[in-house]
Amino acid sequence: MKNIFKLNYLLYTVLTLFIFTACEEDEAAPEEENEVEVFTDVKLVFTPTAGGAAVEASAQDPDGAGVQELQVLGAINLAANTSYTLTMVIENCLESPCELMNEEIEEEDVEHQFFFAFTNDAFTSPAGNGNIDSASDPINYNDSDSNGHSLGLNTSWTTGSASTGTFTVQLQHQPDVKTATSGATDGDTDFALTFNLNIN
Amino acid sequence: MCSINNTIRSANDGICMCNKQNSHNTIIKSCCILYFLFLLSLDVQSQNPCDKIISGKVFDTETNKPLPDVIVRSINNPKVIGNRVIYSSTDKFSISDTNGKFLLEDLCLDEDSLVFSRIGYKDSLISLEGDFWTVSLTETSVELENVLISDEREIISGTQTLSRQTINLDDRVVDRTSSLAGIASEIDGVTFISTGSNVERPVIHGLYGNRVLILNNYIKHGFQNWGDDHAPEINIASVERISVLKGSSGVRFGPEALGGAIIVEADPMDLRKPYFLNVNSGYQTNGKGANFSIKTGKGFDNFAFNLGLSYMKLGDRHAPSYSLTNSGKEEIGLNLGLHYHLNDFDIKLYYSYVDINLAMLRSSIFHSGDAISRAISSDTPLFIRPFSYDINEPNQLVNHHLTKVNINWWYDENEKITFTFGRQLNKRKEFDVRRNADRPIIDLDLTTTDLMLDWDHSFSERSDGMIGFHFFNQDNDNNPGTSTTPYIPNYNTNRYSFFLIENLKFGKNLFEVGARFDYEDYNVRGRDISQNIFRDEHSLNNVTFSVGYENQVNESFSFRSNLGSAWRTPNMSELYSFGSHGFKNSFGLLRYYYNEDQELRTDRVVIMRESELSSEKSLKLINELDYNSDKNDVKLTLFSNYILNYVFERPIGLYGTIRGPMPYFIFDQNDVLFIGSDLTFKRKFTNKFKTSLSLNYMWSNNLDNNGKLINQPPVRIEKNFIFEIESFWKVNFSEISLTPSYIFHQFQAPITITPQSLISGENNITPDTDIFDFKDAPEGYFLLDFSWKLNINDFTASIIVNNVLNKKYRNYLNYMRYFADDMGRNFIFNLSYTFKKKN
Repeated sequence: MKNIFKLNYLLYTVLTLFIFTACEEDEAAPEEENEVEVFTDVKLVFTPTAGGAAVEASAQDPDGAGVQELQVLGAINLAANTSYTLTMVIENCLESPCELMNEEIEEEDVEHQFFFAFTNDAFTSPAGNGNIDSASDPINYNDSDSNGHSLGLNTSWTTGSASTGTFTVQLQHQPDVKTATSGATDGDTDFALTFNLNIN
Repeated sequence: MCSINNTIRSANDGICMCNKQNSHNTIIKSCCILYFLFLLSLDVQSQNPCDKIISGKVFDTETNKPLPDVIVRSINNPKVIGNRVIYSSTDKFSISDTNGKFLLEDLCLDEDSLVFSRIGYKDSLISLEGDFWTVSLTETSVELENVLISDEREIISGTQTLSRQTINLDDRVVDRTSSLAGIASEIDGVTFISTGSNVERPVIHGLYGNRVLILNNYIKHGFQNWGDDHAPEINIASVERISVLKGSSGVRFGPEALGGAIIVEADPMDLRKPYFLNVNSGYQTNGKGANFSIKTGKGFDNFAFNLGLSYMKLGDRHAPSYSLTNSGKEEIGLNLGLHYHLNDFDIKLYYSYVDINLAMLRSSIFHSGDAISRAISSDTPLFIRPFSYDINEPNQLVNHHLTKVNINWWYDENEKITFTFGRQLNKRKEFDVRRNADRPIIDLDLTTTDLMLDWDHSFSERSDGMIGFHFFNQDNDNNPGTSTTPYIPNYNTNRYSFFLIENLKFGKNLFEVGARFDYEDYNVRGRDISQNIFRDEHSLNNVTFSVGYENQVNESFSFRSNLGSAWRTPNMSELYSFGSHGFKNSFGLLRYYYNEDQELRTDRVVIMRESELSSEKSLKLINELDYNSDKNDVKLTLFSNYILNYVFERPIGLYGTIRGPMPYFIFDQNDVLFIGSDLTFKRKFTNKFKTSLSLNYMWSNNLDNNGKLINQPPVRIEKNFIFEIESFWKVNFSEISLTPSYIFHQFQAPITITPQSLISGENNITPDTDIFDFKDAPEGYFLLDFSWKLNINDFTASIIVNNVLNKKYRNYLNYMRYFADDMGRNFIFNLSYTFKKKN
């Protein structure tokens, strides 16, 4: 009898375990995530240093990770022989309203650098064709990270005489890779956008 | 596993346990195969060769009762053919009495074996000399070593007419750091699909993923069973036996057993088993990996336990010409079992835990279209670093807990009711190379609960069967903090099942019929890319059946055939996956659609009932011919599997993202047909030299889409030579095995459209484009593997050399074939010590 009692007790324990564990159902949705992976809109803002209206060009990926193609909206139309300050505006517009992602890059400035490429000698400063092909080529960076390496959210440009060509801006994510000499092929590409460039 | 302990001049010290099954001319007790347990004692009075006395007691370990009416024969030179023992009897026999006791007298020294037989059990053979009998019988007062006897495990009801093959890990030379799938692939017709060196998933007759059910100690292994990069988290050190069922076993085990099932079993914790301790350690050159495990246990009269612990660490593996950067792994395992027997009740409690950290190849991650083009066309990976034990991103961290309670109630000699409760918690975190790489990109907790009530019954002498009620529940939750849209939604699933399997025996014919009813409901909650919540609820039910036939034509020839249906609802990733995972961007069946202009769109989540989706349904016919003779053993398996709405993932093109063009994949559904065969021919030239030849062929046809499918196993041919070497020095057993194999080019691979040709605009993808791949299927290749196993008293040592020729190759079924070669030569050294207490 004693054994049977023990067994009943055991069965009872098992059953209780089941009742208490198997029947809890929750209806919770996953919590909202602050999406840091997605950039949908990149705006290049060229502000003339002497004052005047800023020139903007932008690229938009309407659905982020979705299948819709990236759209480059408009060309970069700059005046000849003029100095500009280029500031980058990076947003995630899948959120409503659009979320400015510049902060994300500023917070991780030691892991990021912008690289540029353009038609040879389109600018008098910087001269040449940019630093995507060779990292030591000149670019006028106006900002740097906490290690003193260039960042590129803000850069200076002086156009040459009238010409047409292309202008590429590339953001590299370089965790533990970024140094004074790291280039556009080190780390991973956050974005790489090519615009038509018209200097009139 | 079966063991005898014998002590000379001691009345009842010896214990043997062995496992028996009926011979084919008696009624099969389908409920289980009972075990014989017996005590042996040997009395050697003098040097006179014919005055040996052996006495003992026979038990059935499952019911733990003494077994009467067991015929114990002393025999010479037995041969085991299949499940039967062929011998010449010496006319000396004994029949166990009501207490299970038997006594054999006047045995001669040349009578080397005992065979035990009983109606309803399989013949069981015990060798009294040879490799196991390590001391001479003429010596007095010497304890004899344990005798190990190979056994046949219980046949599972509802699967008797299915092709079933088992690997006993203790008997094999096995690389203990390899995966479950890697070990199971030693069985014909089983291969594996992998993502690098660490993630391997079994493929049975061309079906894989959640079409092959993984039963972890007879409950469905509850893990994130999706994608090709999620392998079942099963600690090989805790496994004693792996069985593969190659037919559709959906009736017995439920949905997902479309292609078959892989059953992983731990130590059965036999009662009356002497204390044992096994310590195992190994080292391998490729990856400079080390592993260590310890197992211990003991069986008392009505109580048994076991305990196991294991650890392994491997660094970066290497291909013949370069290091596979970030391909190490680390694994910690623990398992604990308790077995208690009380009157007619048999209770088992089992717990296992495994903690795994798996590195994924660094070169498989790209953040630009240009990089992926270069990576796919390059001969070497783009990311090669010197050897390291470090595991960096991308990697996967998984914890898996499994608890199981199993109660058998033997209310009658041949009938029992089994209650099983299982609970599993699977915590998975995946890290990707990305901004915020320290945060997991996937962080999921999956809780699985199983409740099963099974009744094994026997309505008459000729028929028996099984009726079961099963409840299955899964609860999947995303943990916050991934900073990305959840790839897999939160969900709850409930499944209620009822099944019935009966078999009927007419002479040499066995018929098996089964039917099953399942009801499933789903509650899904996820987030879309804009972080809006979507919800869906749906339920469905289904009926499956199976019909099987087995004919034991004569002693050496048998035939079995099974026709079974199975079904499966597309799983959560096939339905809902969205976005980037590894190097891919994937879209589940409910996450994409074609608009009026036949353009692919992914901007909304389709509700299940508004979709045109259907469950996958299959009909598999499998026939097996088995011929066994003295020297030859031929097994031919022919199968065909027709699957409606087969779900598969395929490349769909390169799409522009802000990072540049990236490779995109979608899940698709087509009707398919698989036809194939496995042939194994084993020949025993002498007792010391055996060979086997196996050939696996499968032809797949996509009935909807111009015949082509992607990622199907290529034709494979393998030869195996085993040489047993004469004892020398202190080595009492030594065996060398040489295995050459050739894997053919997959001639059924789809067309190739390279990323370059898509970026340059040379190729354009439309909904009518054939199924394609980004890279050509690799060329065929020849591999050579070698192993040498030897026993010195309680020590077993082995050396395995995989890829002896250091062949540079890429495996079509390895996802990393896009980026890197497979592993090069690997020397694996293993040393194991087993201590068994002599009673």
